[in-house]
Amino acid sequence: MRLHVILRYVSLILLLNALFLFLSAAVSLIYADSAFLPLMYSAVLSLLFGVFPAIFAPAAEDITNKEGFIIVIMSWLVSCLVGVLPYILCGGVFNFTNAWFESVSGFTTTGSSILADIEALPMGLLFWRSSTHWIGGIGIIVFALSVLPSMGRVGMILYRREMSPIALKSFRYRTREAIQILLAVYVGLTVLETFALLFCGMNLFDAVTHSFATVATGGFSPKNLSIAYYHSLKIEIVVMVFMVLSGINFALLFGLLAGNFLELLRSATVRYYLAALAVSVFLVSIFLHGGHGGNYPDWADAFRYASFQVISIGTSTGFATADSSVWHPFAVLVLIFLTLQCACAGSTSGGIKADRIVIFWQAVKKRMMLIEHPSAVVKAKIDGNPIEEDTLESGILYISLYVGLVFLAALALAMTGVDGLTSFSGSAAAMGNVGPGFGSVGSTGNFSHIPGPGKWVLSLAMLLGRLEIFGFILLFVINRWK
Amino acid sequence: MGLRLKILSGFLVIALMLLLAGAWSVYELRSIAESVPKILEDNYKSIRAAKIMMEALEREDSAVLLLLSGKWEEGRSMIQGADRQFLEGFDVAMKNLTMPGEGDVVEKIRTGYETYKSLWLKPIVGTGHEGNLQWYLDSVFQAFLKVKNSVHQLSDMNDRGMYDAALYLRDKAHRSTMPGIVAMISALVLSLIFSYFVNTFMVSPIIRITGGVKSFLNSGTPFIVRIETTDEIKDLASSITDLTARIPADGKNP
Repeated sequence: MRLHVILRYVSLILLLNALFLFLSAAVSLIYADSAFLPLMYSAVLSLLFGVFPAIFAPAAEDITNKEGFIIVIMSWLVSCLVGVLPYILCGGVFNFTNAWFESVSGFTTTGSSILADIEALPMGLLFWRSSTHWIGGIGIIVFALSVLPSMGRVGMILYRREMSPIALKSFRYRTREAIQILLAVYVGLTVLETFALLFCGMNLFDAVTHSFATVATGGFSPKNLSIAYYHSLKIEIVVMVFMVLSGINFALLFGLLAGNFLELLRSATVRYYLAALAVSVFLVSIFLHGGHGGNYPDWADAFRYASFQVISIGTSTGFATADSSVWHPFAVLVLIFLTLQCACAGSTSGGIKADRIVIFWQAVKKRMMLIEHPSAVVKAKIDGNPIEEDTLESGILYISLYVGLVFLAALALAMTGVDGLTSFSGSAAAMGNVGPGFGSVGSTGNFSHIPGPGKWVLSLAMLLGRLEIFGFILLFVINRWK
Repeated sequence: MGLRLKILSGFLVIALMLLLAGAWSVYELRSIAESVPKILEDNYKSIRAAKIMMEALEREDSAVLLLLSGKWEEGRSMIQGADRQFLEGFDVAMKNLTMPGEGDVVEKIRTGYETYKSLWLKPIVGTGHEGNLQWYLDSVFQAFLKVKNSVHQLSDMNDRGMYDAALYLRDKAHRSTMPGIVAMISALVLSLIFSYFVNTFMVSPIIRITGGVKSFLNSGTPFIVRIETTDEIKDLASSITDLTARIPADGKNP
């Protein structure tokens, strides 16, 4: 393993971070706030660290899988570390633990926050906070590879390490094409949403930061009340539409833009994802309505708030228009299920992913048929294509490991004195990169009261979720790789 | 990029980082130094003025009670001294309006005090008010409480201002130390990376070249050393390769 190769490619990610830090410093300068120097210093530091290895280490013609893997993991960790700098340099509520939590939450597109008063932050820092979502949303490596061309085979290995394994299976494009598609869809959605929000009456700063957070399915809002601040149905509808779109495999979205609408509808995963959201909205609306001892006597209100919260949690975004912690227990359980499941692979969403749920049901169906006809040759299929045994096995193993880790994180959190509901939902929300949980970390709450060790547990859960568990665990056994 | 420039850039990067951190720390420390007298000017002066007014009001209240009990001489002398003291304090407060809403509070003190003063300015001893505790409780004491509350408000407001200023200073102090800490850690990490690069791309190739030359001279092994960089070391290796191609292994000219 060549350390200089790893340093060289990780440093490219620092340059990308430096670019957004400079942009944030410019925002700070425009608003004449107090974050200019912290942001500028962080940007310069990031730039220097980014340039330094490039001066010494020559570009590699080829990199090994092991090196590619470490580059990806290190890119996430180094980005999170760079993300900490503006926060701790600004001070206030940001000690190292809080800054690390906020930074990891940003880059992993989780959207959980330790901030009780978000609006008290300088605008430049708020812009950086949203930028971390946007950088993290597409995956730092994929982004860098798109921006920095001519990396050839190096690019392909990094791309394969970065993309969710399940998403890779559904991408039929070649690496370079796939990267270009991802970037085009990502930027396109961001620009479209920004204009739509501006049209709905949001100011430019809010529109850009909310678009960053929506398309990355992050959830950081520059307002304490999140989307509820605007009291605008138009804004809610725009945000909902873009949350749903951002939860769909970007390659399929690209097909949609190219006029291939049927391909999107033919995908069993997309059909399941949309159906799950629709059924959840319907069920939650019923239980939020006053007739069932719910929270909203008016059907329209029940539907409006149920739609937003279900889509927000079901796409792992985490924006809020209502305090879902006080909702009917049935509605809370539906939202917890969505917190675990989230949206499609190949999108910016986290969680188990709808694709694995579909695989899981195919495996159940196959098992049932084998019980009925023991000697039959049964093949599980998705979209008419047979699923390999390896894919079935790894999908089910992933779900088991995922749920197990959520429980472990919840136990660790409970050990720090946090109550049961908060521990479980907080851990599930962190692993799924969703953001808000229930109990004291609900959609209108925050994580400031969680003890320091609890914040580290949740940060680890966020990274585990973002790197699809195996990626992170393999880092610790990398020496045994052959 | 040449070796000289590479080594220089390594040092320059570290130096630039430390220089920026130092400059920022100095800037923050200077702004702390500038803020301290400002806090004294802004809030401490008003708090002192409020304290003076409060003491004067207490003395005036005692003086009114003396007048009520018929002690004209002691009462008048005390009340006139306290009035002068109050006006001195009020003058300081009026000239030191530094916080939002402070002007309104000072105005409330002025009008309240005028009302209060109008009650004891009129003769008390030898009039129907002498010994009239009910009149004192219903009129004088109420007016006294009103002014006192306004003065309290001024004091509280400036106390809060001082507390906020202390928090601001704490933040500033944090900001002046953090760049230094970050720069120290970063410089340490960069130094380690720098020494790794120097070792990998400068020292190791030189050792490999030396070894290659030695084995060429000792055993006639062709001089083949792979250099990844495109600097003077690569030129050196190429030159030696050219040289060894011309010289036979036993060292005699062809």
